[in-house]
Amino acid sequence: MNKDRDLASSALRSNMQRRDMLKLMGAGAAALSFGGLAATRAMADDATVAFWATATLDIGDKWQEFARQSGVSPEFTDNGNDVGPVVARLAAGNANDLFDVGGFQGGAEKELAKQGLIAPWDVSKIPNFAGIWQWAKDIPTLTHEGKQYGIPTVVNADSIIYRPDKLGKVDSYGVIFDPKLKGRVAMEDAWINSAIFTAIYLKEAENKPIKEPGNLTESELGLVMEFLIKHKKDGQFRTFWNGWEQGVQLVANEEVDAMTGWEPIVYEGRKRGLQVEYAAPVEGYEGWGNNTVLLKGAAERGKAEAAHKFVDALLGGLYGCELGKARGYLVPTDNNLAYAKAHPDEYKADDVAKLADHVKAKFSGKVYWQNCRPDNFQLYEEWWQKLRNA
Amino acid sequence: MKTSVLLLAAPLAVILALGLAPLVLVVVWSFCAWDSATYWIKPEFSVAAYGAVLEAGRWSVFLSTLGKAFLTASICLVIAYPTAYAMYFLAGRRLSVLLAALLTIPFFTSYLIRSFSWRLLLGRTGVINTLLQQAGITDAPLDWLLFSDFAVIVGLVASYLPFATFPVLLSMRRVDPIALAASRDLGAGFWTMARTVLLPLTYSGVFAGFLFVFVMVAGSSTEVQMLGGAGASIVSVMINDVMRVANFPLAFAISTLMLVIVFGLVLIGDAIFGLSSLFEERGQ
Repeated sequence: MNKDRDLASSALRSNMQRRDMLKLMGAGAAALSFGGLAATRAMADDATVAFWATATLDIGDKWQEFARQSGVSPEFTDNGNDVGPVVARLAAGNANDLFDVGGFQGGAEKELAKQGLIAPWDVSKIPNFAGIWQWAKDIPTLTHEGKQYGIPTVVNADSIIYRPDKLGKVDSYGVIFDPKLKGRVAMEDAWINSAIFTAIYLKEAENKPIKEPGNLTESELGLVMEFLIKHKKDGQFRTFWNGWEQGVQLVANEEVDAMTGWEPIVYEGRKRGLQVEYAAPVEGYEGWGNNTVLLKGAAERGKAEAAHKFVDALLGGLYGCELGKARGYLVPTDNNLAYAKAHPDEYKADDVAKLADHVKAKFSGKVYWQNCRPDNFQLYEEWWQKLRNA
Repeated sequence: MKTSVLLLAAPLAVILALGLAPLVLVVVWSFCAWDSATYWIKPEFSVAAYGAVLEAGRWSVFLSTLGKAFLTASICLVIAYPTAYAMYFLAGRRLSVLLAALLTIPFFTSYLIRSFSWRLLLGRTGVINTLLQQAGITDAPLDWLLFSDFAVIVGLVASYLPFATFPVLLSMRRVDPIALAASRDLGAGFWTMARTVLLPLTYSGVFAGFLFVFVMVAGSSTEVQMLGGAGASIVSVMINDVMRVANFPLAFAISTLMLVIVFGLVLIGDAIFGLSSLFEERGQ
């Protein structure tokens, strides 16, 4: 091993050790002591990028191949997915000292940008940005004051899981609120999804005065939540499900005939021999994105170049193929298909194309985007408590 | 003396550092203002978080949590007391060890799996509903078996029963069998002996068992979320909800109130039932 390599690996090791130490120190205490360390970290190896994202965005061993192709070596850390603690760690904790790039549920960008916790991307340094499908580029939460703060790395759209053998064809969220199905339906135990599904239904099917289902005003939110509370009191919902395995079990064990939820649950139900379908609702889908953001700390540490290279590589094809294969997630670009065709031993081009067409079809109609940080998000929590306690 | 002080110092320091210090922080921060711009705590005195506890029906979650904890602890004791009696006074040494092992078997797996298994038992297509229908007792599945308060209490009792049984068992070890025999010799029947001699001598264990279960139920969430009906709640679920929107003072205020309630219960219990006597040797 030559000397340069030794130095590089030593710098990388040191960088990783420091990050490990910082993680151990905890948010509050670490926030007080980082002035000096930030400067030290500027010397860190710029070929590494600390990626702090939802666990399902991790591609495990494939990061090595990703690093080989892109020249950027990602260090993945699960952020727990809940945006509340993520924002708090960025605002008052040490997250900006530890991580370079974030992969968060869509919607937090505006708030993070306003607080100066993330930096805008320079899309001219992300050649693959041009290849992102237009409807994904148009996600409203990606920009703030004309600057690109979020890159739509993973997108999909959710609707209703249902049993056609029991209900026939379902094409409306109305099935969830149909009194004839009292005690036979469920929604997710999360306002981030259930409030928007209800708002989409009320806006599109009942013509209620709702402008943006993903970002309800105080009065719109009251309307939506009172509607949910009334139905809960009437015994409409069997339960509010929580987490992937509970969702699967509700369907697989025939506890419900219809529920709002994620498409992978449908595949799992089918595996267990049940007739389960995913509805294409006339009211539209709930689109969701997991967007990639550049943390302010990375820009200050001189890691911006590496971060841009990293996010460009996320859109390069390998990541999209691997995420599609592992989780059925979609990186919204044709690069996936091109990569699959170029690597037939690893990925089936037909599968990649099928996944892309399937998701594109969802987005050919109406889609309302999920927003993990609506303007009145504290009120959402209060209303969710009222719903629980109703 | 010096040796005992030294021996105590290390664990005391660890307890203070790991246990008390975070609790003090929780209490102090619950009286701080919340900064909506940064989602963090402002170093300003405020009781706003305690005011918010009264909003959105949060107080009713406290009441229902206390109710669930009380009911679960009581049911656990009703089951645990005769179990402990049988294990200590009736079963031989071998059988007693076997019964103790049986009680701990559920803890060989995670609490998540334990709760989940109840869904498989109580569900519409679960074992119990299937048996009921096959036996002709019911025509259709009983929906109230799952996603109901009934299911929650079943899950909680099953989860925490050993925590009531073992303190009662411990307290029974302190009962002198001669006292029981004497009461019998004096003409007391089983129930009179149990009421006038056995029960008073085991009050500390009964209360300790109650307290263990009560506290653990108050801090539980899995059973409620997995077995409860739409929107079923308990204090820990409410804290999770509040943490999701990063309102730390409110989450800490809720935690502080629960701490006060539990500490109050411990103090009252110790004053009435002599909790500390559980750790005294017989005859002391």
